[in-house]
Amino acid sequence: MRLCEPLPLGRHTVPSRVVFGPIVTNLATEERSLSERHVAFYRRRAEGGAGLIVTEGASVHPSDWPYERAPLAARCADGWAAVVAACRPSGALVLAGLDHAGGQGSSAYSQRELWAPSRVPEVNSREVPKWMEAADIAAVVGGFAASARSAVEAGCDGVELNAGQHSLIRQFLSGLTNHRDDAWGGDGRTRFATEVIDAVRAAMGPQPLLGLRLSCDELAPWAGITPEQAPELAAALCASGAVDYVCVVRGAIFSVEKTRADVHEPELYNLDVCRAVRAMLPPSVAVVLQGSVVDAERAEAALGDGVCDAVEMTRAQLADPDLVAKVRSGRGGRVRPCLRCNQACQVRDARNPIISCVVEPSTGHELGEPDGQGTAARPHDVLVIGAGPAGLEAARVAAARGHRVTVAERRPAPGGLAAVAGPAAPLVRWQLAELERLGVAVRTDVDGAELIGLVETPGGMARAPGGIASGTVVVQCTGSRPGRRPFEVDGAAVVLDAAALCLGEEALPAEGTVVLFDPIGGPIAVALAEALGERAVLVTPDQIAGNELSRTGDLAPANVRLQQRQVRIERRALLRRVAADHVVLEDRFSGERRTVGAVAVVDCGFREPTPPLEGAAFAAGDAVAPRTVLEAVLEGRRAALALDGVAAGGTVRR
Amino acid sequence: MSAELLWTPLALGPVRTRNRIVFSAHLTNYASGGLPTEQHAAYYAARAEGGAGLIITEEHSTHRTDWPYEKLIHGFHRSVIPGYRRITEAVHRHGVPIFAQLNHNGGQASSMYSRLPVWAPSPVADPLFREVPKAVTSAEIDDIVAGYAQVAEHCAEGGFDGIELQCSHSSIVRGFLSPATNFRTDEYGGSLANRARILLEIVAAVRRVIGARLALGVRLCGDELIEGGTTIDEAVAVARLVEASGQVDYINTSIGVATASLYMIEASMHVPPGYALFIPSAIRAAVDLPVVGVGRFKDPLQAERALAEGHCDLVGVVRGQIADPEFAAKARAGAAEEIRLCLSCNQECVGRMGLNRWLGCIENPHTGREAERAAATALLRPVARPRRVLVVGGGPAGLQAAIAAARRGHRVTVWERQAEAGGLVRLAATVPNRAELGDLVRNQLIECRRHGVQLRFGVDADAAMVAAERPDRVIVATGSVPARPWWVPGDAVAVCDVRDVLEGTARPTGTVLLIDEIGFHHATSVAELLADRGCAVEIATNAMVVGQDLGVTLDMELWWMRAQHKGIVQSTDLVPMGMDAREHGATVQLLHHPTGAMQARTVDWVVLAVPATPLDGLYHELCRAGLAVERVGDCIAPRRAHAAVIDGERAGSAC
Repeated sequence: MRLCEPLPLGRHTVPSRVVFGPIVTNLATEERSLSERHVAFYRRRAEGGAGLIVTEGASVHPSDWPYERAPLAARCADGWAAVVAACRPSGALVLAGLDHAGGQGSSAYSQRELWAPSRVPEVNSREVPKWMEAADIAAVVGGFAASARSAVEAGCDGVELNAGQHSLIRQFLSGLTNHRDDAWGGDGRTRFATEVIDAVRAAMGPQPLLGLRLSCDELAPWAGITPEQAPELAAALCASGAVDYVCVVRGAIFSVEKTRADVHEPELYNLDVCRAVRAMLPPSVAVVLQGSVVDAERAEAALGDGVCDAVEMTRAQLADPDLVAKVRSGRGGRVRPCLRCNQACQVRDARNPIISCVVEPSTGHELGEPDGQGTAARPHDVLVIGAGPAGLEAARVAAARGHRVTVAERRPAPGGLAAVAGPAAPLVRWQLAELERLGVAVRTDVDGAELIGLVETPGGMARAPGGIASGTVVVQCTGSRPGRRPFEVDGAAVVLDAAALCLGEEALPAEGTVVLFDPIGGPIAVALAEALGERAVLVTPDQIAGNELSRTGDLAPANVRLQQRQVRIERRALLRRVAADHVVLEDRFSGERRTVGAVAVVDCGFREPTPPLEGAAFAAGDAVAPRTVLEAVLEGRRAALALDGVAAGGTVRR
Repeated sequence: MSAELLWTPLALGPVRTRNRIVFSAHLTNYASGGLPTEQHAAYYAARAEGGAGLIITEEHSTHRTDWPYEKLIHGFHRSVIPGYRRITEAVHRHGVPIFAQLNHNGGQASSMYSRLPVWAPSPVADPLFREVPKAVTSAEIDDIVAGYAQVAEHCAEGGFDGIELQCSHSSIVRGFLSPATNFRTDEYGGSLANRARILLEIVAAVRRVIGARLALGVRLCGDELIEGGTTIDEAVAVARLVEASGQVDYINTSIGVATASLYMIEASMHVPPGYALFIPSAIRAAVDLPVVGVGRFKDPLQAERALAEGHCDLVGVVRGQIADPEFAAKARAGAAEEIRLCLSCNQECVGRMGLNRWLGCIENPHTGREAERAAATALLRPVARPRRVLVVGGGPAGLQAAIAAARRGHRVTVWERQAEAGGLVRLAATVPNRAELGDLVRNQLIECRRHGVQLRFGVDADAAMVAAERPDRVIVATGSVPARPWWVPGDAVAVCDVRDVLEGTARPTGTVLLIDEIGFHHATSVAELLADRGCAVEIATNAMVVGQDLGVTLDMELWWMRAQHKGIVQSTDLVPMGMDAREHGATVQLLHHPTGAMQARTVDWVVLAVPATPLDGLYHELCRAGLAVERVGDCIAPRRAHAAVIDGERAGSAC
């Protein structure tokens, strides 16, 4: 596979063509230096075969403090050295990501004004930046040069300059954000970038690598960089010979979420523009494809087609750090799939969540959360009840560690809700494939309670004589059930359960308006509403539909899709009563009630755990508390590891 | 002021307070890695030094399952004790008692930081965090109770004088007490006695470890302001149960639920002071324990009156002491007019909390920076050689620069073009219910006077005039001017900026389209003003919400209630694309950007709330002339008042 072949790059050779890009992690210290957790995070990717690792973008100047845990280059020298020391034994090259977010930064931490080419307010904070003066420009150019020198002195193989998303360099390049009439505006819009590139090359000398992360489509054709202009722009920036590679990305101030898009966008969305950039640049400059490159075969095809010389597969290596190693050893089919859900890896968020991954919860927690590998000292007989993502993960990890595992699923098919709603179906398929490889039987249409011999008694579920063999450890992963309904339901009214609907256990009326009750502000109701289009009325207590989608970046896109699909959105609304042909809504602020005609309501609200099974030693996922796939996988895995604490004969030590 | 009661000492069990002013518990986000910091110590010490009678720290988490926000003190780790000692020693140095608040936030949390299921009485998702919690088993309840006792032990070891149990706002005890979140059928659910069981178990467990040496208080919510939640009658009944335990020394009170009705807990200036006094009043009538009252007390006179009228025995003054740590001392010294009055704007205290940032204050740039400032001793000393400092512009940036420079001993003059100081803040305070914002200017002027700053009004400064003054330092704080967006034709007459409306230079009538591209009070407050004058107002914004940042300052709920009442229409996702101006009125073309559909509005007036343009000509002229010049505030980039104050403080103290 070309993916695993070395890539000559500048005066270096990269051991594989897979790049781990500069992703925000929130792993930095409060002093804005790189932490031990950073080192462990990058080491894991290097061990798994990443060819080129670009560390989290570091601010090159104190005028930039875009998020609280944003590294500051002036405090990164030791951290870069430690990352290099951790990654070099595996062969990976390490570049320092260098950043200045310009007007897309934040003044909350620096308590200073933002700097930008022009006074274009940041889209979300609406903060108006300072128009940079010549001295400011010189200071930032100097900051790039000093930071690059520091990175190389720390042992980095070079640097990657960000002219992609959240970037002052891009803001200078673009007519969207550069309205200057001086030497850095108009025809001089490339001047700032050129000054930075030249200064960085001069500071580093000829040997180290210089990469340029370049937005080649700002998705704002009225003034932004377009895919048609991008190849010439890239060529102009590479003309001096200082740049060793260009990483083709997209997005700008109005389209932050499109730079690392979620599952609503197709994979490999930068393929065409990347091909055009590749065609324009001389062979001495490598081109890296970015943009939902999560599948090794598609990445291989892009390399084979001459679209690019390397692929940036950052999220794919959050999901499976061993991606390259697996492909290299012919186990490409076993790569744990990235869901492109952005649930846990999109952490540019004021709450400073630590980067992680829904399918690989040890990501970002390399020093604290075991990934489940290893062998159990004492194998047990294990019965996992419930084959949703929690149960499948518990079974997979337990079996891989040497336990004798059976999975029982009440429904006719495994996978639970994750298989039918949201983006996690590829995870379920992967878990099932792994279980098959491990020889674990997944029995469907089996009631787990019956299997362990539980019967209903006046005091709850109790073990009946003749249950499963004593010594079997039971892990309960039975998921959730509909929760308490905070509205009245008339006798003839139709109220469906969103989960049952997704599972095909209930069906919508063939026609008529359907109300989607969504107190969660989550993806399920939004997806159902999109599917129903103008038949749907989405009822939300919030000001914005799908309120909780902001974490993944889908908030604004979801609202665009809903409006384009002509979904009626009832905002600031409480659902009070469901009747046969209408619902009664109440305005949260005025208290006024109104009726909306509807033939059915789909309850997309909060769910409850299924009742505890008395015979179960452990529980995981929604059976503990209905949450997301992340918690299901995490707790399924922890349950499998907790089997290590089970004594001979299946006695659980508490 | 005849403040008799405020200065009367009071016994809270074994602890005696010198006065009745409490710096009650509130989040600060000063913790680091789960530990209290030097900043905590400096912050509380400043209020102790400033005369507070009692300090109650922010909450200390009692259990590893409780981690709702990043910068929470993990009281359940013994490693907190050195930090506790640093805090208590710093406060005790000023002879002031300090209590620690203990809490488990229960279901009002997420698993984001803990990676553990959230614990609560019943699997009821919180309306803010929206994560279904795990209903705790009775073994887990024992674990929770033990956690409180363990942290109380840490606090006693750390030198605290008392413990307050948070049973309101955001708390698992609140969760148990409230019929809205407790659906249990065991001995911890159902009757009030059952719902209060965990509270009484915690009281007993904590008292057991702290003995008689420390005070113990319980903070109760008098009205959760949520459907099916606790109301005053039950709160009074719980207070009676608490008193009957014989183990509690005082009762603190509160209103609202932090994750559902926060806008009534940390009420902004739109809510009248003393709005929550009915709660301590009712509880005090039912129990003999001392009762603390809270609710936007920003003036010692209000506090004295609440005591005199018998509503409470102590008064919680939080934001008032965030804004001015010397609140109590100034009042005690008969200099109440010198208190830097809190604006209840919520911009940098509450507003930063919700965004995971350290607590600050719009008008006190030292808040949140007490430790840093204590370390920067050079800035605290008067300068050896006073300089002549000229500040051009008497808005919040210029005034703060003047104050900071004068505080260090420089001779400072401020030139202001208008007849009054305050710049945009003065204008913004003229709209309905926003008058308290104007206290920022009042406070700055008082401080200017105290430090001998010379103010001259009606001076339209130019470079020659400045040079003629021969100042040693010039600080330019000339602010900004309204901008005209590209889509407004040059000859349009029925269009103006919100600033023009407030200055009275434009008087829109009839139908008004207000364009909100700022997302704060600019559009919404002027919309109210115009609606009050009889205009039919629609606000259009390119954002997903009109006044998007009103949520951050807890103004969103009441804004909506008022807007609906006043018939103000709010339209979102609309981008102005052009305007046909006529002799009277105009038609504005609006692009609905999600669908690409064009809309039009024909109105009598168009009012703009759009980013302004910095007025920095004088600054550049002075630079070219070679003067020692610095600039602050909106003339760098138009921002909000806190930025102006911070800029001014920085430049002024650097003179």
